[in-house]
Amino acid sequence: MLLFCLILINMTYPSMTFARVCSNIYFLNDLCRHALLPLQMFFAIERQSGLDDPVRLRRAESTRRVLSLELNHNRDVDRIHGNGINTLDIEVIDGRYMLSGGSDGVIVIYDLENNSKKPQYTCKAICTVGRSSRHVHKFSVETVQWYPHDTGMFVSSSFDKTMKVWDTETLKPAEEFQFDGNVYCHHMSPVARKHSLVAVGTKDPKVQLCDLKSGSRIHILQGHRGEILSVRWSPRYDHILATASTDSRVHIWDVRRASGSLFTLDQHNGDKSKTSSEAVNTAHNGRVNGLCFTADGLHLLTTGTDDRMRLWNSATGENTLVNYGKVVNESRKGLKFTVSRGCSPEFVFVPCGSSVAVYGLHSGELITMLRGHYNNVDCCEFHPDYQELYSGGKDCNILAWVPVLRQPDIEDEETNSKRGGTQAAINPAFEDAWSSDED
Amino acid sequence: MRKQLNKKVAVFKSRMNRKRALIADTFCLTKRRRCAADSVTGESQADIRSSLQYLVTLFSRKLFNDSLPPVVLKHQLYSLHNDKTSVDKQVNELRETGELLMFQLGFDSEAFALVFAEDFRAKVLQGEAGRGTLGTVEKFLAKLIPSCSDLSFNKEKMLKEFLFTDSEITQLVKSGVLTVRDAGSWWLSIPNSGKFIKYFIKGRKAVLGMVKKSKYGEILQTELEGRRTTSQVKFQMKYHIHDIIGAELVECIQTTSGTLLRYVDGNVN
Repeated sequence: MLLFCLILINMTYPSMTFARVCSNIYFLNDLCRHALLPLQMFFAIERQSGLDDPVRLRRAESTRRVLSLELNHNRDVDRIHGNGINTLDIEVIDGRYMLSGGSDGVIVIYDLENNSKKPQYTCKAICTVGRSSRHVHKFSVETVQWYPHDTGMFVSSSFDKTMKVWDTETLKPAEEFQFDGNVYCHHMSPVARKHSLVAVGTKDPKVQLCDLKSGSRIHILQGHRGEILSVRWSPRYDHILATASTDSRVHIWDVRRASGSLFTLDQHNGDKSKTSSEAVNTAHNGRVNGLCFTADGLHLLTTGTDDRMRLWNSATGENTLVNYGKVVNESRKGLKFTVSRGCSPEFVFVPCGSSVAVYGLHSGELITMLRGHYNNVDCCEFHPDYQELYSGGKDCNILAWVPVLRQPDIEDEETNSKRGGTQAAINPAFEDAWSSDED
Repeated sequence: MRKQLNKKVAVFKSRMNRKRALIADTFCLTKRRRCAADSVTGESQADIRSSLQYLVTLFSRKLFNDSLPPVVLKHQLYSLHNDKTSVDKQVNELRETGELLMFQLGFDSEAFALVFAEDFRAKVLQGEAGRGTLGTVEKFLAKLIPSCSDLSFNKEKMLKEFLFTDSEITQLVKSGVLTVRDAGSWWLSIPNSGKFIKYFIKGRKAVLGMVKKSKYGEILQTELEGRRTTSQVKFQMKYHIHDIIGAELVECIQTTSGTLLRYVDGNVN
C-alpha cells in the first residue's frame, strides 16, 4: 500500500523529485566521478559544493593557462622603441601599466588593460620619455622599476652613470643619483614599509644603497671583487638583499648588519673536493648575471655564463641541485628573467637566445620554448593576474604571450546563433545585461 | 514538465560530452606529466645501474689493452633518462653506498667520469701487480672505496685522516691513482687515463664535425650511427652519440623518421 502511494507520487511529480535529488551534492559528485568528466569540471564542481578549497581551483586553472601560453594575433604592444628593449616592469597594484626601457635611452609607459569591447587589442603607449625630452637618459636604460606602492613614481638607471627617480605625472626626474661607473641594475624592495632603499649595482664592486627619503647614499656593502650585474631584494623580508657579480659569487646581505654579507652561495654546498681550488665557494663557473627570487621568497634562482641555472634555498644558501641542463646564456650584462606566480608547479621563464625557455621550477624539465622574436630576447615579465608573459628583445618588439582561450560551450553557441552571428565577437562579460529597454 | 526536465538532462549530458571531448585540455597534460615524473622518480636505482651497464658495454676495452676499467661519463646518462635531477640524485646514492666512483677528468669542469668500484679496484691492482707501490695502493683503495666519496684530497686529509706519510703520497701519485691539482691537493684519478682523455676529446670533435658538416648542420641519429668512422674516432659511435646528446652539444629533435641531431652553434669544442 505504501509502496503503491510512493509510486503514484513519483508519477505525478517526477520533476520535483529529480530536482530534490539533484540538489543533493553528494549525488552530483558521484555523477561526475562516474561520468569521467574532465578534471576542470570536476574541480569546479568540488569548489561549488564546498568539498574543496577555492585556492585549488584557481591554482589548477592558472597552471593550465601557463602551460598553454602562445602568441595571439589579437594582442599586440605598440612599437615605440627604435633600438632594443632592455627591461620591462609591470606595476604591482593593478597590473595595468607596464614600463619599458630601451637601448636608445627612451622610457615608455603602456596601458595593458583592454577596455575596448573587441578581442583585437593593441596595448597603447600612454606616455614616453623620448629623445626630445630634456631629461632623457643619454645612453641605454638598463633597469626600470615602478615604485612598489603606487604608480606616481618610477626609477630608472642607465649606462650614462645615473639613476633617475621620475614623477609619472610630469615625466620629470624628481631626483638624480650620479655614480662613477655604468649602472647595471637597481632594485627597490617590494615589501619594505620601514625603509625606501634602492640597491644599485654598478661597475664598482661596492653595492650602493640609496635612500629615497633623504637622498643619501652613504650605505655601502663591501664584499664583491667584480662588477655587480644584478641585485634583488627578497620578497619575504625587507632587509635581505642578494647581489650577483662577475667574480662568480652571489652574496646574501642583511642590510641592518654593519659587517659583511650573511653568506655566499656555494654551488658545491661546501664540498671543496669537487672543483679546482680557485673555483671554491662560487655560485657559478662564470659570471653570474641573473637573479630572481620565487614569489614566496623561499628560493632564489641564479643564472650564469657557464650556461647553468641554479635553484638555491634562500634561508640557508644551499644548492638544491635541481638540474635544468644547458641554459644558454651569453649576456654580457644582466639577464632579466622571471618566475610564475600562483601556479602549481611554478615555472621559470628564461630568455635563451631568441626564444624564451619555460622550465618547471622544482623538476628542472624544459616544458617548452616560446619562439617568436627575431633577435635576442633580453627581458621578460610575468603578469600574475592574467597569466600572461611579456618579453622584449633586440628586435624592438614587445611580444605578449597569452594563454589559449577555452572553446565556447554548445549552449552558448546555440543561443549566439539565434541572436545573430555578430554577437559571437563580443565577450559576454561586456554585454549589457542590466539596462532596461525603457530608458 | 517531463519534457522540460528531459531537455535539461539532455543539455547537461551534451555539455558533459563536449567537455569530455576537451580531454586534450592541458589538465590531463599536467596529470600525464605528473605521472611521467612519478614514474621516473619511482624508477629504482636498478634502472640507472642497468643504463650504466649498457653504457659500459659500449666502452672499447681492447683499445687500451685491458688496462683501463670501463669509463662512463655522467652526462651520457642524461641522454637515456629525461629527468636530470633524479639521475643526479641516484648517481649520488650509488656513490654513497660505495658502488660507483666519480672522477673529475679535467678537460671540462662539468664532465665527470663514473667507474664501478669493483672494476676500478680490479684494474688498479692488476696494473700495480709486481710493483713496490702495491701495498700503499691497496691501503688507499681500502680507505677509499666503501666510505669516501670525495673527488679530491688535500694534504691535511691525507696526513691526518688517512694516516699516509709524504713518501706514500708520492708513491700514490706515481702509480696514477692521484693527480696533482694544486700545491698540497690532489684529484682522484684513473691510472693510464691520459690516453683515454686524448682519444675521447679527438673522437668527440670528429663526431661533432660530422654533424656540423652535414647538410643544414643536422643528421638523423640512425644515419650517424651507420656512418663509417674516421681514424680519429676510436670509440664506438654510440658512445660518442650519447656523450654529445647528454652534454647538449647537439639538439635532439623528434621527427617522424626518428631522432634528428642538430648542431648547436656557440659550442666551445
